[in-house]
Amino acid sequence: MTGKIFKGMISVAVTVMLLCAIFLIGILCNYFNSLVFAEIQNEAYFIASGITSAGDAYLDDIAESENRITIIEPDGTVYYDSEGDAETMENHGSREEVLEALESGEGQSTRQSDTIGTETLYYASRMEDGRILRVAAKVDSVWVLVLGVVHPMVVVLICTAILAAVLSSRISKRILRPVNEIDPGSAELREPYEELAPLIQKIRTQNAHIQKQMQELKRRQTEFRIITENMSEGFLILDRKTEILSYNSAALRLLDVTEEDARKSRSVLAVNRSESFRTAVELALDGKHNQQPMASGEMCYHIVANPVLHSGLVTGVIIIILDVTEKEKREQLRREFTSNVSHELKTPLTTIYGIADMICGGMVKPEDLSGFSETIRSESQRMIALIDDIIKISRLDEGTEKMEQCETDLFALAHNVAQRLSYAAQKAGVTISVTGESAVINGVPAVLEEMLYNLTDNAIKYTHENGRVTLTAGQENGRCFVTVEDTGIGIPLDAQERVFERFYRVDKSHSRKIGGTGLGLSIVKHGAALHGAVLSLESTVGSGTKIKVVF
Amino acid sequence: MRILFDDLLEQLHVEMIKMGALCEDAITCAVKALLDGDSEMAEKAFAAERAIDEKEREIEAFCMKLLLRQQPVAGDLRVISSALKMLSDMERIGDQAADIAEITKDISNEHMFGKLHIKEMAVAAVKMVTDSVNSFVKSDTNAAKCVIIEDDKVDALFLRVRSELISLIAESPENGEYCIDIMMIAKYLERIGDHATNIAEWVEYSVTGLHGSER
Repeated sequence: MTGKIFKGMISVAVTVMLLCAIFLIGILCNYFNSLVFAEIQNEAYFIASGITSAGDAYLDDIAESENRITIIEPDGTVYYDSEGDAETMENHGSREEVLEALESGEGQSTRQSDTIGTETLYYASRMEDGRILRVAAKVDSVWVLVLGVVHPMVVVLICTAILAAVLSSRISKRILRPVNEIDPGSAELREPYEELAPLIQKIRTQNAHIQKQMQELKRRQTEFRIITENMSEGFLILDRKTEILSYNSAALRLLDVTEEDARKSRSVLAVNRSESFRTAVELALDGKHNQQPMASGEMCYHIVANPVLHSGLVTGVIIIILDVTEKEKREQLRREFTSNVSHELKTPLTTIYGIADMICGGMVKPEDLSGFSETIRSESQRMIALIDDIIKISRLDEGTEKMEQCETDLFALAHNVAQRLSYAAQKAGVTISVTGESAVINGVPAVLEEMLYNLTDNAIKYTHENGRVTLTAGQENGRCFVTVEDTGIGIPLDAQERVFERFYRVDKSHSRKIGGTGLGLSIVKHGAALHGAVLSLESTVGSGTKIKVVF
Repeated sequence: MRILFDDLLEQLHVEMIKMGALCEDAITCAVKALLDGDSEMAEKAFAAERAIDEKEREIEAFCMKLLLRQQPVAGDLRVISSALKMLSDMERIGDQAADIAEITKDISNEHMFGKLHIKEMAVAAVKMVTDSVNSFVKSDTNAAKCVIIEDDKVDALFLRVRSELISLIAESPENGEYCIDIMMIAKYLERIGDHATNIAEWVEYSVTGLHGSER
């Protein structure tokens, strides 16, 4: 800006100066020339009157005049010339001023002389004798004048330039100060000059536009973050070079990496390079949607990799990591359950089939028949009990039937169960006793009785002769509880966790003899879950087991 | 220009990670084949070994291209040259894993493992390979140092397995062939440990400019 103003000022100054100089020189030139003319006119007048009075001898007196004096005959031949030899001079009859004088009595003209930078002014007048007297004066030409002016002009120009520089920088500073003080980001924009109003208006509208877009972007970002952060699935976006563009905290958790690592590593392969992960990424980069199972320690993941396509080219990959550990575990349990059930069902059936086959083949003597039919009966009984248990457990599992809850006294229930199992206890030589006090809870009586029955039944089964089984009901810390305690064989520590699993048997060879379906404690677990009760187990091998249910 | 070069270096890093991961796969599969007698795992180890060979040639060509076209100096040169050195160590790990898988095809006396420390040795070797690749991925010199220290453990286990095998042969000479096979596997595992150490040393070199043997 300073430069622009400076240039403008200088050019204005130069132009003004040049114009002034041209005008002045033109005017002055004319003025000088007219002065010179007046002078030579006077001289011519004096000489003419001199010659008239004193004759041609007068010419000798004026030889020292600085102007050139010529006398020309009316035919044009030169009679006298003060600076040259008249004889050798050419005819002057055709000269402009001479012709004019011959015609009108006087004439004048200006001609460029032979010397550079000067010109000659001529004045001619017709004397009384008819001859022409011409006086010529040499004057400097315009260009000499101009040359003379150049020097002071340059000095003035330099002064102007310095002045212009100082002024222009000051002026531009003053003009620019308010412009510089404009803050384009501020909410209140004021235009310092009227001329800037359209620009300021434009900035204003653009500011508003940007603000709106920023808000929109922020909103979208928050939206995206909320969605991804609240996903329990891991979420990753990669670019074509497997660089991580975005991730959520679930992804970090599932891949077991710290946030810092994820930020630092450019390639996702630096975070996880397991075979299935690599395959998933590579296939997706080839443009193939794919799913891969991935195991890491005890956890099972499911990776879904999708290519991001942009106009037919793969520009990135979106990866979703699902934690399927729980599902896999359930699947595993279900498989085990199915295989166990089929096995348990098949065993009695095989026995029954074998006996029936023998009877059909007539291989059984009539006196053995009652023994065999007893076996068939007990095996069928076992199957019925098993199927019964499976039905119970699947009911508890699915909770399809709405079970009526009502107030139930655990103490009374314990008495009931002890009563029901007194025969079995007697047969096994086990004393069964009930202690405690009344403990009323809200529950499903059938399920509660089943639970207590199973626990007590188990206790009797696994207690040696002369052992003791004690049922206790009561209240403790405001919560009702019931315990079943025996002096039986106990459960080894490593099996304690698993006894509530379906079909789990501590001693598989022993269980056949004792009977039971392997589902009893599992039913207890489900029943407890139905009532929101907590099961706890204390057991020492050889001295007994205590199972406590706290409601 | 520099951005392009950085991109190429990053590409090299990613390829090296893939190579390292393949090595891990190979040795993990081979060890599984050994410990579980799983012939499917042995096949996977062979497949990984073939993939490793292919990847090695690929990365080698890539490194050469980088050296010729970019003429790297200082740290960049170190990264590329150490990558080339690591490459050959990784390739050897792949070969030895395949060799182990090959031997497992003929071994059936799995019950013998109980008497020997070969399982511990295999686990330690796999861990060394994993750790060395990890130290490369993160350019972590501390992790690299741990790997170098770990090698002593594998060496000690090798000597132990060796003496156990000697006494086993003395006890029952009919097990000789089996013992020799196990001896070979132990030797391979010990070599794999050495290669993992080399990788860790090259990681140190690429980061600090000092190779383990220089100190």
